[in-house]
Amino acid sequence: MKRLILSAGLLSGWLSQPAWACRVCRPRVQAGIHTADYAANLLWLLLPVALLIGGGLAVYFAADVKRRFF
Amino acid sequence: MTDSPQRTPLIAAGLLMGAGLGGFVDGIVLHQMLQWHNMLSGKLPPDNLVAAKVNMYWDGVFHAGVWVMTVLGLRLLWAVGRRADVPWSGRTFSGALVLGWGLFNVVEGLIDHELLGLHHVYEYTDNKLPWDLAFLALGVLQLLGGWALIRAGRADGLTRAAG
Repeated sequence: MKRLILSAGLLSGWLSQPAWACRVCRPRVQAGIHTADYAANLLWLLLPVALLIGGGLAVYFAADVKRRFF
Repeated sequence: MTDSPQRTPLIAAGLLMGAGLGGFVDGIVLHQMLQWHNMLSGKLPPDNLVAAKVNMYWDGVFHAGVWVMTVLGLRLLWAVGRRADVPWSGRTFSGALVLGWGLFNVVEGLIDHELLGLHHVYEYTDNKLPWDLAFLALGVLQLLGGWALIRAGRADGLTRAAG
């Protein structure tokens, strides 16, 4: 699981590089992506995904947690 | 280990895969093919090339997120396949897939469309609410259908350990 999370992190870092097409407009595209709102955009955009992943993992491990602690 | 049969691990795998694949359907059909909206099109309308490409970037981030969700679901499904205490049921798994897709539509619809207004389902109209509500209604129908399938799968296979 740790290796999977590490791979996903590396992939997301690689994907954070903007596209290279359109040399003329590229600086404006880069500026449009990396605004002061970048972190907020990233957070809000991935919030539903994070909630669903957290929920799915909670359902998967619920029985183990219950057995171990309750 | 003499664990009693438990269905939740298979349901969890299906939930994550269904939600992830549902996210891909949203991205492929609504963002790319029909081009009804993009992830940030409510804040940054794609009415010129630069704005369209910025939206394209954030669509890519979204696709990366649902890809991770799908892979996690696949990883859980692999783990379930090695567990004798989890009944292997097609109805349970397909119900969880539908339930996961519905969950994605409802959660994404409520957060992105209604609460944050990052985008709306169909943006080429002045009245966006009916489209957003129809999307949520589809999600609720999927939740009900998925739940019914999961319930129907209760009778499927006790444990593979017995086999």
